[in-house]
Amino acid sequence: MSKSFLKIALLVVFSIFCSSSICVAKGPDGSGNKVDVDLAKMSGTMVYAQVYQMVMDPRKFIGKQIRMKGIFSSYFDDETKRRFYGCVIQDALACCSQGLAFELSKPRKYPKEYPAEGAEITIEGTFDYEEVEDGVSFPIIKNAEMRY
Amino acid sequence: MPIIEKLAFYMEFPFVRYAIIVGVLISLCSSLLGVTLVLKRYSYIGDGLSHVAFGALAVASIFKLTNNMLLILPVTIVVAILLLCTGKDTRIKGDAAVAMVSVGALAIGYLLMNIFSSSANISGDVCTTLFGSTSILTLKASDVYLCVGLSVAVLAVFVLFYNKIFAITFDEKFAQATGVNAALFNLLIAIIIAVIIVLAMNLVGALLVSALVVFPALSAMRVFKSFFTVTVAAATISVVCSLAGILVAILAGTPVGSTIVAMDIVAFFGFYITSFIRSR
Repeated sequence: MSKSFLKIALLVVFSIFCSSSICVAKGPDGSGNKVDVDLAKMSGTMVYAQVYQMVMDPRKFIGKQIRMKGIFSSYFDDETKRRFYGCVIQDALACCSQGLAFELSKPRKYPKEYPAEGAEITIEGTFDYEEVEDGVSFPIIKNAEMRY
Repeated sequence: MPIIEKLAFYMEFPFVRYAIIVGVLISLCSSLLGVTLVLKRYSYIGDGLSHVAFGALAVASIFKLTNNMLLILPVTIVVAILLLCTGKDTRIKGDAAVAMVSVGALAIGYLLMNIFSSSANISGDVCTTLFGSTSILTLKASDVYLCVGLSVAVLAVFVLFYNKIFAITFDEKFAQATGVNAALFNLLIAIIIAVIIVLAMNLVGALLVSALVVFPALSAMRVFKSFFTVTVAAATISVVCSLAGILVAILAGTPVGSTIVAMDIVAFFGFYITSFIRSR
């Protein structure tokens, strides 16, 4: 009887420990540094997981300063007649890719003043969340500086 | 950036801490049952059930279920019960039934995903589900709570019914003769295995789940001899390998699932060499 009680007590303590570990989990907040989320100094796996968080829950990151290293990609939307520029990263298996759109602080002419598709770029700017007409919304880095 | 500093930086992210909590819990649960499965000659059932879970996931994504666990878990439990509790009395025997279910569910799941999926990146979805490249790092707090709850339930069953599980693992008929309800405990083991497999898919992906079940148990069996010591050693090996695998994956940017399995393989060879040296 006492052994069973001890086993149950241990399990209860264990589950409380796990739950408290979840409760104390807090993200890296703006620590006064210029860049709040520096994806450029993270490993590929971490970058992929962090960008996933930004895409799935963009409201948490609005206004934060982001730095990101990835592959340059662009896409022209026929409906809105707007060209989107993106910084794309691949996961460790290279079967999935995701990225963030960006908008440069000083507009440039495409394609003359942009890097070639697939070139490695580093962008730095403010994270925002843009809603378009048909209810579709997407995260975008605004006022961005681009290096390549 | 030095490794320790980099690790401390990564630990600030909630999703890394979630991954470590879930990784430790899943590897602990899978290794405990792994010993029983290996000894009962059901090592490959993890593979079969994970493919069933993959098929159920494909159906859940077609119906756009908000919580796909509501479909995946019951389907996997039903198949686990069919495979483990009726295997001996059916026309299609144990290993053939597991093989049939395994490839059948995988093929149908992929077929359904291709025909009906609305996702723009089917190959990416399939790849993530099969190899769990980063799925452990994309968990929400609710996923972690679910995992903690299910893991505690699995551990509670294993700890409270340890003696009965021990008895039916080694000699089911003898256990029955001594008054143990073998059918009930086989059912319990089938349910627990299904729960562990569904949870473990998040950690290493559907194709690599068997490694979590088989490697720690086989490593421990190289060196330890009693059921208790093998179980404790398997749990320790599994937790250490998962933890090391997750940390190496986030530091080196490698796929999480296969890095954990690589750690398990290294541990297996370590224990194999230890056993070889001791026997000489």
